[in-house]
Amino acid sequence: MFELFVAMFREEWRIHAVLFGPAMFALLPALIGAMAFMGAFLVPVVNRALPAGDLAAIVHILFLLLGAMVGGFGLVGNEVMNRRFGQASFVAYAARALPLSEQRIFAAFVAKDTVYYLILWILPVIAGVALASPFIGLPPEAVLRLFLSLQLAFLAGLAGLFLATTVYGRSKGAFAGLAVAIVVAVGAFSLASGALPPFPPLAVYRDFSWPVLAGTVAAIGVALAVSLLLFRPQSAGGERRHPDRFTGLRRRLGRLPYPALGAKDLLDLWRSGGGVGQVLFSLLLPLGLCWFLLSLLAPVLPSHGVLLLFAVLAGVLASTMYTWLTAFDTLGAYACLPVGVGDLIRSKLGLFALLQLVPAGVVLGAALLSGGTDVVLPALGLALGVSAWSVGVTVYLAGLSPNVLVYDPRVLLTYLAGVGLPVVVLVVLGLLHPWLGLLALVLIVPAVLVVRSGIRRWEAADSAFF
Amino acid sequence: MAMVIEARGLSKHYGETVAVDSLDLEVPAGALYGLLGPNGSGKSTTIRMLTGQTPASAGTATVLGVDAAADPVGVRRLVGIIPEQETPPSFLTAAEYLRFAGAVRGLDGIEEAAAWWFEFLDFGDKKDVLCKDLSRGTRQKLMFAQAFLHSPRLALIDEPLVNFDPIVQHDVKEFLVDYVRRGNTIFLSTHILEVAEEVCTGFAILHRGRLLATGTPDELREAGRHLPDVFLELVRQDRNHV
Repeated sequence: MFELFVAMFREEWRIHAVLFGPAMFALLPALIGAMAFMGAFLVPVVNRALPAGDLAAIVHILFLLLGAMVGGFGLVGNEVMNRRFGQASFVAYAARALPLSEQRIFAAFVAKDTVYYLILWILPVIAGVALASPFIGLPPEAVLRLFLSLQLAFLAGLAGLFLATTVYGRSKGAFAGLAVAIVVAVGAFSLASGALPPFPPLAVYRDFSWPVLAGTVAAIGVALAVSLLLFRPQSAGGERRHPDRFTGLRRRLGRLPYPALGAKDLLDLWRSGGGVGQVLFSLLLPLGLCWFLLSLLAPVLPSHGVLLLFAVLAGVLASTMYTWLTAFDTLGAYACLPVGVGDLIRSKLGLFALLQLVPAGVVLGAALLSGGTDVVLPALGLALGVSAWSVGVTVYLAGLSPNVLVYDPRVLLTYLAGVGLPVVVLVVLGLLHPWLGLLALVLIVPAVLVVRSGIRRWEAADSAFF
Repeated sequence: MAMVIEARGLSKHYGETVAVDSLDLEVPAGALYGLLGPNGSGKSTTIRMLTGQTPASAGTATVLGVDAAADPVGVRRLVGIIPEQETPPSFLTAAEYLRFAGAVRGLDGIEEAAAWWFEFLDFGDKKDVLCKDLSRGTRQKLMFAQAFLHSPRLALIDEPLVNFDPIVQHDVKEFLVDYVRRGNTIFLSTHILEVAEEVCTGFAILHRGRLLATGTPDELREAGRHLPDVFLELVRQDRNHV
């Protein structure tokens, strides 16, 4: 069991090291620690606009989402890895040839994720906050509580995702029943108490007591144990059949430069479990969270400030749609076809432009619902201009592997600087006068130039993609 | 005799590792040419360089008169390729993948050709199955079909037989021999020496990225030798020498 854990741990490191370079990836915890250190100094400033409790809740929710994301990647990541490494095989699969039960493999997998991301994310954050704590008046015991509670929030996300997917794998009806029961329970609690139910890891931070800690650990342990008991590996013999959708889609995308490539990407997105779920979890939910957080700042912002800031964030988030179009692509499939890296990037950007209807619709809806119809045009301009520029920077820095942005500190910092500076200028201009937000559309011109330069750059690179 | 593949000093380095070392190779039109070598000898890297999937570290390669380094997409437009690993897109069905490959190649009306391949390779019952759910053998059939969908003058095929059952292997070997008879060229990478001896009209033996020998099975037969024996002798000699 321990050997399996060590092999999985080493494998996780090597995957990241191969994807992002060992030195760069090793620097990531340092970068996270530095950002946490600097971010900690902003806490007193943010607390003036937000109650301290809300900020703690947001941080814990982010770690909950991180846990869910890591868990989700563990379950579907083989597709992404196949795309990057060809026919990828993992210790978890290889171990099936050994006298080990699926439950033991799964348990080792969970243990590996827990320790790996403790070292990669949670310890650096805590180290950064601990270093800053004397300057911001955070007592050492609060740092210790934060260490515990963030780890528990991460594990709650991981365990919750595993439980949800395990139940779903057993019975879609049971999954729907569980989802309805949770929604009803949360709704009933909220109606009765006028507040959302407590999030146990957050309670460990806010109101630490040994019973709360024990209860939280027990709840996570039960979720993981139930996942282990119910876990049933996907049958290798399943065959999913579909009628021809490619021909019709290709015809409908006839105005795009590469309709066949675009049709394939849309089918990848839809059939990989993306589509509605992807839009919901990667765009609408984060945007909903953004709207909620920005609305807390409404008292200190000028009129329509919330909508314009929301439009900027919508633009940045919308640029991640490019990641959707690359995540499940098996680039080895193009090795035998007359297409180059430039063709693939241009095709994905054509589809990306089409998909901008979604964030545009969201911004339009937000404007209508918030009474901001008089500034809807600058809001749309901000969203689309920022999105175009952000995706341009992404293409230049990461080509067809935009997930590199997350893990390569050098690329991440360049991206943050490249996107952050124009965004700050646009936010200031937009807050000075809403219609100045339309200037964001000017960003489309440098975005096109940056994309062209990026295509030249990635075409010249050794096509390790193939 | 016209050459469809000409490589001069073709090399590929990955850091300190030399995958292919100064390879000189000429493949005449109308040949069924076997590139032979043990695992890791540089066969797949050679095909990847010839088809512009990866640039050479040194040397030149011309395929059907097109410089593989200067115009890799141009080479892939002309030739058929079966890559080392069967990698059709996960979320297209088998039939959709052939339509996709046809569309990317600018072919219209591939339905008849696709139907022929489904029947010939006996996987018509899988045409609506997602590629990710296909067995390795069926994925290999699909990659085989896409390589010949546009009837290329030259096909570079990397270990095309390994996942096929004996019946399909037999049919495919007959297809390859017939395809060459019709005036086309096949560049076949394999380490199944019996197959190479049976179907190839010429061969090159690679080991540790270096060319050890070239020749034809007829020359060997005249000398009373068999390709597997010659191959083993040369590779073992080279291994001991190194």
